[in-house]
Amino acid sequence: MLTIKSLSKSFDKGKNYALEDVSFDLKAGDVCAIVGESGSGKTTLVRLIAGLERPDHGSIVLEDKVIASVDKFVQPEKRKIGLVFQEYALFPHLTIFDNILYGISKMKNKKARVQEMLDLVGLSDMGKRYPHQLSGGQQQRVALARALAPKPSLLILDEPFSNLDSMLRTQLRNEVFDIIKKTGVTVLFVTHDTQDALSVADEILILQKGKVVQKDAAANLYVKPNNLYVASLFGDTVQINKNLQTAFHCPLKEDCCHAIRNEKIKVNPTTYDSDCDYITTAQVIRKVVLGDSIQLLLKLESGEQLTVMTKDANISDTIHIGFNSKDILEFNQ
Amino acid sequence: MKQVGSNKETFSLKSRLKRLKRDSNRWSIFTLIIVLFLALPIIFIGVELFSGPGETWSHIVQHLLPEYIWNSLYLVVFCSVLVLLFGVSSAWLVSRFEFPFRKQLEWLLILPLAIPSYIVGYAYAGMFDYGGSLDLFFRAMNFDFIRIDIMNRAGLAFVLSISLFPYVYVSARAFFLNQANNLLEASKMLGVGERKTFFKLMLPLARPAIVAGLVLVLMEVLNDYGAASYYGVNTFTTGIFRSWFSLEEPETAVYLSALLIIIIFALILFEKWQVRKVKFTSSKTNNTHIQRKETKKSIQWVIFSVVFLPVLLGFVLPVGQLIYWAFITASTVFDLEFILISLQSFGIAIVSALITVFFALLLIYFSKWSALRFIKNIARIGVLGYAIPGAVIAIGIMIPTIALDKWLIDVLAQFGIDSGLIINGTLIALFYAYAVRFLAVAYNPIDSTALKVDNSIPDSSKVLGVGNLKTFFKIEFPLIKTGVFSAVILVFIDVMKELPLTLILKPYHIDTLAVKAFEYASDEMVMEASIPSLFIIFTAMIPVIFLNKLLIKK
Repeated sequence: MLTIKSLSKSFDKGKNYALEDVSFDLKAGDVCAIVGESGSGKTTLVRLIAGLERPDHGSIVLEDKVIASVDKFVQPEKRKIGLVFQEYALFPHLTIFDNILYGISKMKNKKARVQEMLDLVGLSDMGKRYPHQLSGGQQQRVALARALAPKPSLLILDEPFSNLDSMLRTQLRNEVFDIIKKTGVTVLFVTHDTQDALSVADEILILQKGKVVQKDAAANLYVKPNNLYVASLFGDTVQINKNLQTAFHCPLKEDCCHAIRNEKIKVNPTTYDSDCDYITTAQVIRKVVLGDSIQLLLKLESGEQLTVMTKDANISDTIHIGFNSKDILEFNQ
Repeated sequence: MKQVGSNKETFSLKSRLKRLKRDSNRWSIFTLIIVLFLALPIIFIGVELFSGPGETWSHIVQHLLPEYIWNSLYLVVFCSVLVLLFGVSSAWLVSRFEFPFRKQLEWLLILPLAIPSYIVGYAYAGMFDYGGSLDLFFRAMNFDFIRIDIMNRAGLAFVLSISLFPYVYVSARAFFLNQANNLLEASKMLGVGERKTFFKLMLPLARPAIVAGLVLVLMEVLNDYGAASYYGVNTFTTGIFRSWFSLEEPETAVYLSALLIIIIFALILFEKWQVRKVKFTSSKTNNTHIQRKETKKSIQWVIFSVVFLPVLLGFVLPVGQLIYWAFITASTVFDLEFILISLQSFGIAIVSALITVFFALLLIYFSKWSALRFIKNIARIGVLGYAIPGAVIAIGIMIPTIALDKWLIDVLAQFGIDSGLIINGTLIALFYAYAVRFLAVAYNPIDSTALKVDNSIPDSSKVLGVGNLKTFFKIEFPLIKTGVFSAVILVFIDVMKELPLTLILKPYHIDTLAVKAFEYASDEMVMEASIPSLFIIFTAMIPVIFLNKLLIKK
C-alpha cells in the first residue's frame, strides 16, 4: 500500500543528506517500526511521507497514487494519513471533544464518531476537558484518537513514547497498540528504542545516517544482522578483530567482518564443555555487581579489553573465556 | 547498488527547476508582491538617483554636506556615549542590586520612551530659556551669572540621549535578567569580585544585546527632525526637508536620502558584525533569575540616586515643565478644534496600526506557507523600513505618487472625469507610509509569539485535512492573539508620536497632535505645544506600562 523509491532529502543543497536513496514497501495491515539513533533520518522520513517536507529525489506512492516526487506534490491535508506527533500537538484552546472533531467536521454522524473514538481510547467522559487538564498518557491517547478519527489509510507515530518514563512507557505502549490492533490500520512507528520496536512491530526498518541498512522481521534482525551497527542495536556486540582472533586462536576469513555478542561469550567453560570452540585466558580488571549478575571488565594477554556477564559471585582474578563458532556473526565489509 | 540519490543528479539544474516548479505556490507569489510593495519607496529613491542631482546639489555638497555629515557624526558619537552610560548602568543596577523603590524604578526607566524626543526638546528649551524655570531658579538662588545655552548641537545630543536611552536599558536588562544568572553564580563560586565580574564577564557577554539597543537609538537619532530643527542643528533630515520645501528640489532630497540610507545600512552591518563576533550567548532563556544583592543602606541610596537620575531627566522634569505650561495655556489651546485634532490623531493611528498589523500577518504567514525556503529570507526585506528615516520614506512615496496621480488625472480626463489628486495628499499615501515605516514594530512581536507555537500544532491540523487559511483562523490566530494585540498597540503609539513622515505626507486639512505640537513650537508658541504633547505622552504611557506588565508576567 505504501511504496517508497530512492527517496532523498538534503537540508543544505546536497552537502549532507538527511535521507539518501531510501526504498521500501509496506503491506496493508502491517505494523512497521523505523529504528535508528537520533540524526539517522527517521523523523525526516515520516515527515516526507506525511507531506510536511518535500523530497529532493525519489517518489512516494500511497495506495497506487503518487503523493510526492520531484515534479508532483500532494498537500498534507489531501493525503489521508494520520500522524501522532512526539509532543502530541493537541490544540491547547480546544476541548478534547473538539480536538477529535477537528479533522472530521465534514463526516456524517461526526459527533457519534468522536464519542466512538473517546470510548476506544478509554476516555469516554473526558470530552469536555482541555488538553492541559490531562496527564501525559491521556494526552497521548487523545492524540491517537484524533489521528484515527478520519479513518486514515496509514497511521504514523513519531517517537510516541519518548516523553514518558520507562515504567509508564511499557504500559502505554501495550495500551496504544491494543487500540491500534482493534482498528486494523497500517502503522509506521518511529522509535530509537529497540524494545519498543521488538515488542510491537511485525517488521523493523533500520536507518543509519539516512540510509536503510536492513528491513526484516524482528527475529531475523537478531540472528542475521546486516552489519555491526544493526547487531549492536539489539545487544552489546564485540568485533572480532585481528587481535582477538590471535588471542582466541581462531583465524577467520580476511574479506569479512566478524563479531560476537557479549552475552554469547562464556565465562570459565569447563574442559568437558564441547560448546566452546575457541578459548583464551583473561585478567579481571573490574567487577560491577548489577543485581543478580556481575559485569566483568577483562584484559586479554594481547592487551584487548572486553566486558562479559557472569552469575558466579566468587570469580577468581584469572579466568578462561570462550565462544562457539556458530555464534559468530559474519557481515560483508 | 546504483546511487540514484547522488549529489550530481539530485542537484542538477534540471531537477532543481522541476522542484522549483513543484514548490512554487500562490503564497510564494503573494509574499513577493507584498515585499515589493513595501520596498517600493526605497526602490524609487534608487531609480530617481539616475535622473541626476538638482541645480543646488553642487552648492550643497560644497557648503552644507560637510556640516550635515559632521553634525550627524557628532550626534552619533555623543548620543552613543550618553545612552550607554544611562542605559547600561541602570540596567545592571536594577538587575543586580536591591535598593529602595527598585521595582517602581524598573518600569519608570522605560517611560521616557513615551515622550517623543522633539517634545523633550521643547521642554528643555523652555527650562533653559531666558525667564524659563531654571533661569528663575538660578536667579532666586542669586546665581544670576549662570546662563546655559542648550539650543545647540551638544544640547540636542543631550535631549536625544535622555529620551532614547531606554532602548539600551530594555535590551540590556532583558539580558541581565534572563541569561546571566548561571554565569554570575559561576563567577561568584570562582571568588571573583563584583566589579571584575561586571567588567570582565557581564559587559562583554551583554555586548550583542547592548549593541542591538544602541543601533535602534542611533536610527532614531538619524530619523529625528523635530528636535534638530527646533535646536537649529543642520542634519541630513533637516536637509531633506529644506530641499523639499524651501528649495523645491526633489532631486536633491533624493540624493540626501540615498546618502542617509547608506549610513544606516553601515550601522546595520556594524550590528550584524558585532553579533556574529560574539555568538556565544545561548538562545535558551535561563529559568533562574539573578539573585539581587543587599548592600549597606547608605550605598543603597547612592544606587537609588544613580538610577533615579535618568528618570528625573528623561521623564519627571520634562513632564513637569509641560504640565506647568499646560495650566497656563489650557484656556487658549483647549477648544473644539483641538478635540477634533485629537480624534483625527487617534483615528489615523488606529487605522494605520490595523493596516500595518494586517500586512505583518500576511508577510509572516504567506512566507511560512510558501514551500520555497528562500522566500522566508526575502520576506525579511519587507521589515527593513524601520531603519529608514520617516522623511526618506516620505520622499520615496511622494515621487511615484505624484507621477501616478498625474497619469490617473490624464486617463480619467479622457472619460470626462475631473478626479483631482487621488493618492498624493490623501490618507492613502499616509497609511501606506506608516505601514512601510512601522512594519517591523508589528512584525517582531507577532513573529516571536508565532515562534512559540510549535510547528507540530499547525502541522497536525494540516495532516487532519484542513488547509492553510482555515488552520490560521481556527488554530493559529487564537494562539497568537496576545502578540497581535501588543503589535496593534505598539504601532498605534509609534504613529501617534511620528512627526517627519506625517509632516510631508499628511493631507492639507488634516492635523495630528504631533503636527500641532510641532507647529506651535515652530511659531514661537512652545508653551501652547504642551497640551498636545501631554496628550501624546499619556496615550503612549498607558500601553507602555500595560505592555511592561505583560512582559514581566511572561
